[in-house]
Amino acid sequence: MASMNKKYWKGLDHLHNTEAFTEQANKEFSEEVPVEDFLAKQGQDSSGTSRRDFLKFMGFSITAATVAACETPVIKSIPYVNKPEEITPGVANYYASSYYDGFDFANVLVKTREGRPIHIKGNKSAFTGGAVNARINSSVLNLYNTARVQQPVINGEAASWAKLDAKVIGELEKTKAAGKRIALITNTIVSPSAKQLAGDFIAKYEAVDHVTVDSVSYDAIRKAHLNTIGESVLPYFDFAAAKTLVAVNADFLNDWIYPSAFTKAYAKMRKPENGLSKHYQIETNMSLAGSNADVRMAMKPSEEGAVLAAIYNHIAAKTGASPLSVNTGDWKEKTAKLAKDLYDNQGASLVVSGSKLTGVQEIVVAINKLLGNYSKTVDVSSPILLSQQDDTKVDKLVKDLNAGVYGAAILINTNPVYQHPAGDQFLKGLSKVAFSVAISEYADETAANCTAIAPDHNYLESWKDAEARLGELSLTQPTIQPLYKTRQSEDSLLAWMGSADSFHGYMKASWGKFHVSAGLLGLAEDFWHQSLHDGFYKYSTGTKTIAWVENWNTGEATIAVKALQKNAGEGFEISFYHKVGIGNGNAAANPWLQEMPDPITKCTWDNYITMAPADVEAMGLNMQIGQELPASVVRLTVDGQELEMPVFPVPGQTAGTIGIALGYGRGANGEKIGKSAFQTAPDGSIDIDVNGNPKAIGSKVNHLQAVVNGSLVMAAFNASIADAGKEYPLACTQTHHTVMGRESVVKETTMGVFAHGHKHDYNHSHLLAVHSEANGAEMKPVTEVDLWDAHPVEGVGHRWGMSIDLSTCIGCGSCITACHSENNVPVVGKDEIRRSRDMHWMRIDRYFSSAEQEVRDAGGDFSYAKLEKPEDNPSVVHMPMMCQHCNHAPCETVCPVAATTHSNEGLNQMTYNRCIGTRYCANNCPYKVRRFNWFNYKAYKKFTEVNPSQDEMGRLVLNPDVTVRSRGVMEKCSLCVQRIQAGKLDAKKEGRPVKDGEVQSACAEACPTNAIVFGDLNDSNSEIRKMADGDRAYNVLEEVGTRPNIYYQVKVRNAEHSEA
Amino acid sequence: MVSLSRVNVKGAPRLILVFTALLFSSLSLFAQPNGEMLFKGNCASCHRPTTEPLTGPGLKGVRERWAGNEEMLYQWIKNPQKVLSSGDAYANKLYSEWKASGVMPAQAVSNEDIDAILAYVEAYVAPQKTIVDEGDGAVAADVDNTMWYVITALLLLILVVAIFSLASARRAMAMAVAREKNKEYDGPNTYSEAFGMWVKKNQLLVIFVVVACLVGVLREGWYGLSTVGVYEGYKPEQPIWFSHKIHAGQNQVNCVYCHNSAEKSKHAGIPTANVCMNCHTAVSKGSITGEKEINKIYAAVGWDKETRSYTGETQPIKWVKVHNLPDHVYFNHSQHVVVGEIECQECHGEVEKMDVAEQHAPLTMGWCINCHRETEVKMADNGYYDEMHKRLTRDELKKYLNGDEKITASDLGGIECAKCHY
Repeated sequence: MASMNKKYWKGLDHLHNTEAFTEQANKEFSEEVPVEDFLAKQGQDSSGTSRRDFLKFMGFSITAATVAACETPVIKSIPYVNKPEEITPGVANYYASSYYDGFDFANVLVKTREGRPIHIKGNKSAFTGGAVNARINSSVLNLYNTARVQQPVINGEAASWAKLDAKVIGELEKTKAAGKRIALITNTIVSPSAKQLAGDFIAKYEAVDHVTVDSVSYDAIRKAHLNTIGESVLPYFDFAAAKTLVAVNADFLNDWIYPSAFTKAYAKMRKPENGLSKHYQIETNMSLAGSNADVRMAMKPSEEGAVLAAIYNHIAAKTGASPLSVNTGDWKEKTAKLAKDLYDNQGASLVVSGSKLTGVQEIVVAINKLLGNYSKTVDVSSPILLSQQDDTKVDKLVKDLNAGVYGAAILINTNPVYQHPAGDQFLKGLSKVAFSVAISEYADETAANCTAIAPDHNYLESWKDAEARLGELSLTQPTIQPLYKTRQSEDSLLAWMGSADSFHGYMKASWGKFHVSAGLLGLAEDFWHQSLHDGFYKYSTGTKTIAWVENWNTGEATIAVKALQKNAGEGFEISFYHKVGIGNGNAAANPWLQEMPDPITKCTWDNYITMAPADVEAMGLNMQIGQELPASVVRLTVDGQELEMPVFPVPGQTAGTIGIALGYGRGANGEKIGKSAFQTAPDGSIDIDVNGNPKAIGSKVNHLQAVVNGSLVMAAFNASIADAGKEYPLACTQTHHTVMGRESVVKETTMGVFAHGHKHDYNHSHLLAVHSEANGAEMKPVTEVDLWDAHPVEGVGHRWGMSIDLSTCIGCGSCITACHSENNVPVVGKDEIRRSRDMHWMRIDRYFSSAEQEVRDAGGDFSYAKLEKPEDNPSVVHMPMMCQHCNHAPCETVCPVAATTHSNEGLNQMTYNRCIGTRYCANNCPYKVRRFNWFNYKAYKKFTEVNPSQDEMGRLVLNPDVTVRSRGVMEKCSLCVQRIQAGKLDAKKEGRPVKDGEVQSACAEACPTNAIVFGDLNDSNSEIRKMADGDRAYNVLEEVGTRPNIYYQVKVRNAEHSEA
Repeated sequence: MVSLSRVNVKGAPRLILVFTALLFSSLSLFAQPNGEMLFKGNCASCHRPTTEPLTGPGLKGVRERWAGNEEMLYQWIKNPQKVLSSGDAYANKLYSEWKASGVMPAQAVSNEDIDAILAYVEAYVAPQKTIVDEGDGAVAADVDNTMWYVITALLLLILVVAIFSLASARRAMAMAVAREKNKEYDGPNTYSEAFGMWVKKNQLLVIFVVVACLVGVLREGWYGLSTVGVYEGYKPEQPIWFSHKIHAGQNQVNCVYCHNSAEKSKHAGIPTANVCMNCHTAVSKGSITGEKEINKIYAAVGWDKETRSYTGETQPIKWVKVHNLPDHVYFNHSQHVVVGEIECQECHGEVEKMDVAEQHAPLTMGWCINCHRETEVKMADNGYYDEMHKRLTRDELKKYLNGDEKITASDLGGIECAKCHY
């Protein structure tokens, strides 16, 4: 039973069992409907309408409605004049493509219906193995953002392309003639063809400087390799081969370099049956990767260097290398165990760091070198080609812009004014350039300050190629006609070079050249079509022998470590991070992402300061945050800059540090980037600030990042925090829908118990006391006791089910947005989330845990409040929760109108048209997964700004196979019944059984770690059948006897402390 | 032969069947070539059997035109390129006249076939236009109905007037009688008084009538409500007077030739105008509406009749949707057409006899469910159902069969909510 000595709680309120929490927990829905509020807003209480008038109006409208209802509606049906061959109305097409926005990259499949993209999923056969994060699968909604620039703009006025082209060419020639230089500022160009094109452009105008400006720089890693192997490369880190993994402030599952590929690889080592990797995470904020670590340690940003130096010194001592002479403090002791693990797994271990300091990254290189990880888990033969920013070039650019070196600037898909910490300097410099043109989808912070905007296509409208990693060519193809008068960036460059070619032709030609140079067999045309069909092409890059620089000069490393340590002081240290939903802010106007709860805090629609609970308590700030419990606002002062922000206590945050997400405060000066980037008032209108601009969500903090040893770091030091005496509501899903502390919800064990123990040790079934005439009293497993007759689903026909592996689920939330997109889930906005009326069919419960043993030792007082303060550094379990499709569903028996019934395929069916909204079912559901549709989200004015289905473009993303629910009905996970039906139909039409894996729910398909497996439990050879029969499989709340069709797999952690 | 392509080759018995069919079809090679079949199969897409031109010249009188050079005609048909390069004057003249259409492709026909084709062409007489216009008949019926209503209303009016006049005459007479007898008149002074006295006298009758009326109104109301949203017989006017009767009835065009996505998609699909043009590049005149309606197709696809080319200017046709299901219902044509093997007519009625398409079935949920309850699932030779059968144990199978031997759609869960509503 060693594995079960844990208590789980859903948040601090749960832990401390506050009054408000208990009250909340006893209710399925928070009931306070603020009728007065919204009626008063509309001025109805003060109007002169009497009851009598009201009855008259009502009588009239009922009659009118009745009369209107009797008229046959005339619906027009307009077929194509000339039907495109590949489109059949009602049948979806899938196109292989790839997503790249300068921050994320993934190979994707685009689902289109009648020529419009409606869903994005991963391309399983390509490089990223089908892994897409929430940002990528939500990107389909960005296409339909009406805030996109819809035609060329010169000096704020709409212009034609001809006029813009003439203007740009004229200005460029003028600049060249005047002897000034032209700046070509782009984000990292991963497209080989576009790179070639940029070269052509430079050749044409000669006086061109190409500078890459990304939102995040990984230059330190490149420079570190330049100093150690003489080559500026960003190696590929193979997490799939790392048996011991140490990540220091690197959230490789969320935002670090190439998360989609890393996530897929990482998951391969996280299946207990195949042997678990050991994952150490040392970090400041509780990150997504940290929440999945086997051992997590808290550090301050100023200790980053010391931690790695300590690890290096351990390894050096073992391998006989000379140690670094820096003071590593208590980290020497803390890293001893992990260093041993690393050393024991030489060649199969990996150390990664998010540090922006070249010296620190040199230590990482040295550790991996000593461990023999190069050419094993660190691959420089086929390096990553993303993130090519050279920091020195960027610094020089900002200086040169201000010095008036440039006469013209072309900015392509980069937003340094917002993203770069020196954005203000950049803006000043930009205003000194006589002519600037931005190729951008939005009139964002940078583009709005340019002379002209050449609107870019969305990636779903463009032809592009990409080489995210050497040897891995990917293609992007258009899946819709351009919605507006836009032109893709490369076509604009071609036009400005005076070329009549299209980039499509240009790219095809360059692939043709590749076909020749690579010496491939067959026709170039066939090669092109096959690659386009697959979406990718892989070529071998060979193995490179690494030429190590002799005698590594440790000078820069020691300087960097000491420079960081110097920053340690009395004040708070800030660690900046990217949220899983919003990322670097590119998609700040995407309501799906805004509404996706953060994996750790479960907050939506906001940015805040994360702080260690002990610090929050010490400052006397609000500890509990809920519907009626707002967060305290503090005044943050750092380096002379002030900022007011709410505070959210997060267990796991290093004491004395705070975390703030980048990517917020977009559009703060009224830039048009999309409605959902702005705050809405409770009545649904956009909040306006004192300048008459819409209020941005959260605050921009990019400019607070400090410079250490000449490099920008994603941190700041010596910050002070003071209570601002204000409060601010945060919308969190954290304390809603509790499982009331039942321990049969999450089952967890350690690798030792799992590997050597029996199923009973970590996954025992519940026994019930039963009395019968024949046997008297006896204990029977729950599965043998039943109140109802069994549904005839076992072994008969299909029985759809799902298995969710808590070991591999990383809590990234990709499934939530995939479900949002597939099932037309309405977006409800911050105010409604705060009222616990979120509509997500699927949620991910995040449980913090603590060692119960310590409580036992302390006297065994098991009241929540008496639990030791384990929130200092808890381990985390992410648990996706959706309708469990119980075979003995409690919801079905209480519905007075039989609107929720059981299908003979094991599905719990929800029939919206029968539902009268009593909500009995939701009250009777032990899993709290039913959602009540409170409003007419697709029409009510409260949701105009947040719900995409309220505008004519946003509506195009709706899945035509799924009903858009109306007010007053219950809804919940249908197990993607539309896909089940479609899959069965395909099989029937072809006269064959349904193949295993052919039917996939949206969440299973989106899961980057394959933690969710979907299939037919009655198919004896199916993966789901094997999973359900496995030793780790259990049903949540098994003792209730609901017999769910959803199975969970016990979480296995590779940790020692409870292995006893 | 054509029909064979739809045979699903599976198992030995079927193979035998196929071979037998092949044998018979090859037997037909020894029979006389059928001129009409050959013409329609090889020539009709470019030539008319009359003197009117199509993509190529009309074939009537072709023998005379090639008179004296018959051998060359045969060769011309079998390999035009060769004849052209041989420098034959008439062939080259033909080519320059019809340059726009390109050189005729070589035809795989024998001399006997050519003879048969030309014989058919010579004997061909364009069919007389028979104008069958039942549209007027339907309109007339409508007029008749209104006339009946008018007559009934008139009769009712006359009846009411008669009652009132009789009542007033009776009152006048009663008053006169009273005056005559010098008695106080105690009868009714107004119509309402008269009615009141009548009601008092016939209380039982009145109660009966009132109750009967009430029951009648309630009953009609109830049934009336259940027809709200049911548009059986809905027959909207379409932008083009398209006749299914001509196409599917007289010309026997298969339904799925035009509504081809019925086998692939949930939508049967309204044919796109380019499908119309498959035939209507050749047929530019209808038997009923002449060129009027067909010209609308040409306008839609941008077809210039004079130059016989597309102008590129298109204008989609805005058809009026006849069969409307509510948004919360998922219906899939391919499920019913391909898997269920249901004839189109079972739900859509005898479309081949309708000029303008109309809604035949009520399309109510009751209607759907009735069919799902009664219709046996076509399980034979479908691997999907074989697998489903395998998973049923003997006892469970009995549960499904409940008494009869039929496995209907509802037995397999075909009337469960989430089979159509999601």
